[in-house]
Amino acid sequence: MQITERRIGQSIILDLTGELSYANRTTFKAAVERSKRAGCRHLILNMQGVRFLDSSALGTLALLAQSFPAAQGMVSLLNPQSYVKEIITLANLHQILPVYNSEQDALAGSRLPAAG
Amino acid sequence: MAEPAHRIVDDPLAGKAAKPMPVILLVDDDEITRISMAGRLKRLGYRVIEAGDGVAGLAAIRAQRPDLVILDWMMPGLDGPSVCEAIRADGELRSSQVVLMTAHDKPEQIAEGLSRGADDFLSKAASKQEVLARVQASLRSSALVREIERTRDDLDRSHRLLSAKQTELESELQSAADFVRAQLPLPGMPAPGVSMQWAYQPSLALGGDLFQVSVWGSETLGLYILDASGHGVAAALRAVALMTFLREDNLAKVVGSFDPGAIITEANHRFPLTQDGEYFTLWVGRLHLPSRTLSYAAAGHSGAFLHSLQGVSQWLSSASLPLGFDPTISFDSATAQLLPRDRLYLLSDGIYEAPSPTGELWGRDRLQATLESHRAHTLAHSIGDTMTTARQWLKGDIFPDDVALLGVEVLDGTAPAKEKS
Repeated sequence: MQITERRIGQSIILDLTGELSYANRTTFKAAVERSKRAGCRHLILNMQGVRFLDSSALGTLALLAQSFPAAQGMVSLLNPQSYVKEIITLANLHQILPVYNSEQDALAGSRLPAAG
Repeated sequence: MAEPAHRIVDDPLAGKAAKPMPVILLVDDDEITRISMAGRLKRLGYRVIEAGDGVAGLAAIRAQRPDLVILDWMMPGLDGPSVCEAIRADGELRSSQVVLMTAHDKPEQIAEGLSRGADDFLSKAASKQEVLARVQASLRSSALVREIERTRDDLDRSHRLLSAKQTELESELQSAADFVRAQLPLPGMPAPGVSMQWAYQPSLALGGDLFQVSVWGSETLGLYILDASGHGVAAALRAVALMTFLREDNLAKVVGSFDPGAIITEANHRFPLTQDGEYFTLWVGRLHLPSRTLSYAAAGHSGAFLHSLQGVSQWLSSASLPLGFDPTISFDSATAQLLPRDRLYLLSDGIYEAPSPTGELWGRDRLQATLESHRAHTLAHSIGDTMTTARQWLKGDIFPDDVALLGVEVLDGTAPAKEKS
């Protein structure tokens, strides 16, 4: 899995490429921790390049949703594709993690809490 | 004359506490030469053993395992090169360090000696310095070989210990796997008018997928299938913990009802995500036998398929969060009406997510078609053949995930309520 980080305002977008699975969850968690420490208000996980998501990764995402206190910001998913989108839908993950189809919408979503 | 580097000692008890004195075996039939060379070696500080011919030399090597063997070339019976060959042919002795000693040092003779197993050559006319240099070089080689042998022996011992430990662990793992398997229901008739069969193949010795079919109350059959994320011992232990929660007596006590939605809602509170993000998916059904009404609920588990002969076949699941993803939510039950000879299959995602060699998943549509194609066959045949078809898709016997497939059939012509009343 490859992870590149982009900072846009108070948001951080992690562009994920490859498989998000048990095998690379340490790398993924480390990238998330870095973003948290950087004071990120909205962590956007760009799933466009993720072609596989296993059950362990689902748990990691759910844990992330629970561990990102609302007061500190939010986490959302961006543009999951085909199989990954299906898994997220089947597991109802969108109920606890907002899913956006475009980066603009995701970034706009990130401004809502600040505006409110 | 300067004092030699080593004390001249041939008493094995002398210098006992010091570094062990190298032992050299000198094999020569010529007594005068042997005594002379032995004296030179002793003066250089080595312990010397002597043998008067090749046969006695071989016996001494076996008995004493000297650090170095110096062999005369020309001996009656077994000559030096023949002793070399015998040493190299013997698995116990072949790593011995051997120097051939000769009065001649023609190149062709040296080549022959080396090719027949000698490590080095020593001229009988060699100076004291040359003898010392060659003996020291040979002893260095010998020490290295001995060190390698010791390391090899240590490795062999470690390997044997590890193998024994692994056997022990595998045995314990097998006991745990047997225990987990013993929690599964016995195929047959869990209630009057209902037959049940299953197939179970964990991806490792211990699986995180478990299921149960048992009587809940007087007229109700409880069914569930659970999937603990992850694999191996940890997943299996967590799965057994949830299975314990789902026991009839425990449900009556802590949930106070056998309503699937209420059961899953309570389980959602009691089984939060672990610190590593591990969790369960769960499908629970309750079949009211008199009316053949099935109520069911799921937490992230998509594995129940109702194959109806007369009615509508359908997947009994909807999008829902796995246990622990959101502790605040409740789960609702849905219902389905079963007709005589309908079959209800509970299955883990491992079966329809079996990948072909090109990575294409088998999929729920193919699984459904396979199950439906066995309508005319017995339930056991349907389950066995569906597993076989999945393996054919996989082109192998080992599924990457746990696979469970359980079938329940409401038998033809039964009317449990009337029979029971």
